[in-house]
Amino acid sequence: MLGMPLRRRLRLLVATVTAALLALLATGTASAIQPGGITDEARLMNDLFWIVTIAGLIVFGLVGAALVYAMIRYRRQNDELPPQFHGGGKIEAAMVGVPVLIVIGLFTISMIILVQIDDKAEDEALTIDVTGFQFSWQFAYNLNDLGTNTDPNAEGTIAVIGTPANDPILYMPVDEPVEFLLKSNDVIHSFYVKDFLYKLDLIPGRVNSFTVTARETGDFSAQCAELCGTNHALMRFIVRVVERDEFDAWVAAEAARQLGDGALVSASGTQGD
Amino acid sequence: MATVAVPQLSGYHRPAVLDWIMTVDHKRLGILYLYFTLFFFAVGGILALLVRTQLAVADNSFVGNDAYNQIFTMHASAMLFLFIIPVWAGFGNYLVPLQIGAADMAFPRINALSFWMLPPAGILMFAGFIVDGGAADGGWTAYSPLAQQTGVGMDMWIIAVIVLGMSSTIGAANFLVTMFRMRAPGMTMFRMPIFCWTMLVTALLQLLATPVLAAALVMLFIDRNYGGQFFDPNGGGNVVLWQNVFWFYSHPAVYIMILPGMGIVSEILPVFSRKPLFGYKAFVFATIGIGGLGFSVWAHHMFTTGSVLLPFFGFMTFMIGVPTGVKIFNWLGTLWGGSISFPTPMLFAIGFVSMFLIGGINGTYSAAVPVDFALHDTYFVVAHIHYVLFGGSVFAVFGGLYYWFPKIWGRQLNERLGKLHFVLMFVGFNVAFFPMHMLGLDGMPRRIAVYADSAGWEALNMLSTGGAFLIAVSMIPFLIAVVMAFMRPKDQPDDPWEANTLEWATTSPPPDYNFDSLPPVRSERPLFDARHSGEEQGH
Repeated sequence: MLGMPLRRRLRLLVATVTAALLALLATGTASAIQPGGITDEARLMNDLFWIVTIAGLIVFGLVGAALVYAMIRYRRQNDELPPQFHGGGKIEAAMVGVPVLIVIGLFTISMIILVQIDDKAEDEALTIDVTGFQFSWQFAYNLNDLGTNTDPNAEGTIAVIGTPANDPILYMPVDEPVEFLLKSNDVIHSFYVKDFLYKLDLIPGRVNSFTVTARETGDFSAQCAELCGTNHALMRFIVRVVERDEFDAWVAAEAARQLGDGALVSASGTQGD
Repeated sequence: MATVAVPQLSGYHRPAVLDWIMTVDHKRLGILYLYFTLFFFAVGGILALLVRTQLAVADNSFVGNDAYNQIFTMHASAMLFLFIIPVWAGFGNYLVPLQIGAADMAFPRINALSFWMLPPAGILMFAGFIVDGGAADGGWTAYSPLAQQTGVGMDMWIIAVIVLGMSSTIGAANFLVTMFRMRAPGMTMFRMPIFCWTMLVTALLQLLATPVLAAALVMLFIDRNYGGQFFDPNGGGNVVLWQNVFWFYSHPAVYIMILPGMGIVSEILPVFSRKPLFGYKAFVFATIGIGGLGFSVWAHHMFTTGSVLLPFFGFMTFMIGVPTGVKIFNWLGTLWGGSISFPTPMLFAIGFVSMFLIGGINGTYSAAVPVDFALHDTYFVVAHIHYVLFGGSVFAVFGGLYYWFPKIWGRQLNERLGKLHFVLMFVGFNVAFFPMHMLGLDGMPRRIAVYADSAGWEALNMLSTGGAFLIAVSMIPFLIAVVMAFMRPKDQPDDPWEANTLEWATTSPPPDYNFDSLPPVRSERPLFDARHSGEEQGH
């Protein structure tokens, strides 16, 4: 490239930059294939993700094309001075108007989706108490707060406690709303389940909560998303979404193990089914 | 020219080193700023390479978890506080008095004080590595209560950042007075070079926002050392308060870090398009608009705390896309219909526009609150910040260096090496940072020292690490070009680029007190007017 005449070098350079921009556009499109998430809420967020992505790609395509076109079409060919254009009222009004329309549109759509996501909390939701600590998680289930199967007379709490070396498993039933209460007693952590497309911080001195309804069973890896100290990276956990009877069986077994044999019968009554 | 015998003071020659240490000349201080900040760019870059080496493969144990937290904290601290913020003070120091036709800054001694606060602060911050407990490791965001737990390195970090903040606060006052009071005859505010305008708005932001950070840091220091409970819920404090005060500074600080870069690009594009900046006033108002809106978006860093008003901050964050979009149109309109040549400064300027465009678009994801719930604190955000601050600011720094090198040092940097530098850096940058979008979408949180093999993030991380090393390699042609330039005599004319602004009306490098005489200032392009006076101008 270095030995070529100036004009050819410039052309090659423009071509390189163009190719790089086009490659970016292509990888951008291909890479943006985000899994839709496993909860009702995640699917709403996924829709919004695509709306923003499409808007972004259109803007990038148009501006990128204009940039590359200008670089090729208006490259210097002689010493003549080009018209000294300073700008004008109408064009400058469009410069403001077009971005205003785009951002107001995107804002409106994102608020509509935000309201839909927040709208999901239900009273009968099963509640899971999540406590983050340096450096793992505790998931606690109150036996009289297990959603549709709740026996108001059940007493006691079962808990799963992890360690940095041993990722805890968060059991939750599929197809029903589950509410998470998030607490921390040491530093800030963040409860991040990638397949929920959601995270919420655990903040000392306050309780945050959110509700989701999972639509797929399986194991989903998750981890702390807010820097919390040395072993932040090891603060992982697994979300195991199971059918309701499997969940009840797990609760019964854990209750028996943690609280003694008597607890589980009053806990849910599903043991004999 | 008539010569007059000027009586010379004789008998005392200060050694060159003392001359540099004691100087109050804005040009020398500007050069000192540039050397200092480029040194810390290198230091921050080496730390970045350590980060990328650690993350190249899954389950890596190249550095331990503790060391990793220190390394990425100090990478960000060096790049933000010791490189990118003061590097604009460096360009500003050198250029603002020249561009407005002044002999020096308004307060030359305060100017020297601003600079000389930096080296002790830098040393103090990095001395954390040799004290018990290591350097600060709570991230550059120093979130409480985590920032309460770490060792004395954190206290050193706090003091260093306070000192750096004082430096930029008094520097900002100096810039404002200089620009308000010392412009050449005929230079109205709307004839001021666009780089000066961006420095003016930056200085205003520094003056208004930096004291808030200083206050927050003092509160944190009291919490850590004197039993204060500002951020401790057990004593009635509020954990989220830290984030509010921190981001009230640090979001405007993002504009402190990028606006002068936009100014540099807006100087370079018109010169090499041989046209005026398209929509000069729109650009000025957009800059002011970004500065103003910048104070109303801080909580978009806190959407996942569950304690901020989501619609308001979402709306304001989208709105800041408007003045940003205006600037993209300014730059496109400047190129459009021009007569464009592509020397190295122009390549970096166009690189800036294209990368900043991506940095603007991927920023809108975080404004869309529900999408931010997914992407916050993932590598997607790391990609965004680097497209803005590296693809944006750092490309502008190098564009500015290639553009003003002949003025500052009287020598030209080699064009071929410059172009090689640009191509390697452009490719390396995109290879390093574009994959981070995918990693973020795939759920990789930022600030993790290790990831499991089963996460499936290794291939993209390896690619990103390769890009980071390519960026490091791109510095080699730059350094060779600098060495080659310094081996040659100072041979540059006053105005090698056919530029527009007053710094090109004096010699390269300029003499003490800058100008023997000034051309008349009748537009924002006095040199263009002087070159083409008498010709018909098609406005």
